Amino acid sequence: MKRFSIAVFVLGFVLAASVHASEFYIGSEMENFRLSDINGVERSFTELKGEKGTIVIFLSAQCPVVKQYDKRFNQIVEDYKTKGINVIGLNSNSTESLEWVKSHANENYKFPMLIDKGNVIADKLGATATPEIYFFGSDNKLAYHGAIDNDRSGTNIINTYLRDALNEYLGGSAIKVTKIKAFGCTIKRAK
Amino acid sequence: MKFKNFQFQFPAALVVVLGFMLLVMPAAAQKAKAKAAPKKPAPAAETGPLPKVTQVDSVQMLALFKRNEENPKPLLVNFWATWCGPCIEEFPDLVEIDKDYKGKIDFITITLDDLEEIETGVPRFLRQQKAEMPTYLLKTADESEAISAVYSEWQGGLPFTIFFDGKGGVAYSKQGKIVLSTMKAEIDKIINPVKK
Repeated sequence: MKRFSIAVFVLGFVLAASVHASEFYIGSEMENFRLSDINGVERSFTELKGEKGTIVIFLSAQCPVVKQYDKRFNQIVEDYKTKGINVIGLNSNSTESLEWVKSHANENYKFPMLIDKGNVIADKLGATATPEIYFFGSDNKLAYHGAIDNDRSGTNIINTYLRDALNEYLGGSAIKVTKIKAFGCTIKRAK
Repeated sequence: MKFKNFQFQFPAALVVVLGFMLLVMPAAAQKAKAKAAPKKPAPAAETGPLPKVTQVDSVQMLALFKRNEENPKPLLVNFWATWCGPCIEEFPDLVEIDKDYKGKIDFITITLDDLEEIETGVPRFLRQQKAEMPTYLLKTADESEAISAVYSEWQGGLPFTIFFDGKGGVAYSKQGKIVLSTMKAEIDKIINPVKK
């Protein structure tokens, strides 16, 4: 009886820990969502997703790290658009006005920028920083999460994590590095 | 006749008065301003020696976190950068914590600024804030590994504050700006534990 109790306790602990640690993980499926874009038009994940895959990127109109990556990320957007990869930008920062987000997006991005009011999608995915990438395969399952590359300044790029993941996925091989952290700006969530 | 004379004299008098005002008033205003605001020397925080900022890699950074017989005090670590708005906003609170808990805890800050700022932007900011916490600049080829090594739950967003107890265990962590009263309460919990 005592052994059984210990086993139940340990199992309960393991389950509780795994639930906490695995809210959204590599292989988790993205359900459809609807958000307004910067022009007030409602857009959905299903409508915007790419034929071969979809990059969801959390951005900020003020974060200097995002600004350092803008040019390099736009090149990635351009390079993979013709390969069936679409991009959806999300802004979940409660501290940034629609006017700022709109002007930053219009000046810098050619992909749709959606407003994640109340950080609903950021909470669902567990996104905490900008820029932060979530790459979903054509089956809407998370295939890569994290950084664009290893060097925000762009002067010492050794690992092109996102490009590597996209190339491996499109080439039909397993993505070797599926999760990479990077320093960035904290998403300012709605209180 | 008298009225006619007045008609002639009034514009002339007006010109003379306005001319006088234009000539005399700016000089008087300048004199008054100089008297009201004597030239102050620049504040000491903007002219003193620049604090030293030490470059570390991730191994050296993790060594700083170790708690042992030589370093038995709880340790507060703040990750920040001069380019990070919320980091700058919370810095006065960190300086206050450093002053209030000096001798009771160890406190270091780690900046993620570019290396070129190690002798310019970072120490200037620390001097302006009158910050006395030892500050290090982290330069590593593998930021992802460094972030995970600091704390597995941390995704890398700045600012990030982590508080280790005297045994090196994580007592508290916060990504985003700290709340001063909460941070002090968390420190107090460790340095003044309630006896049961």
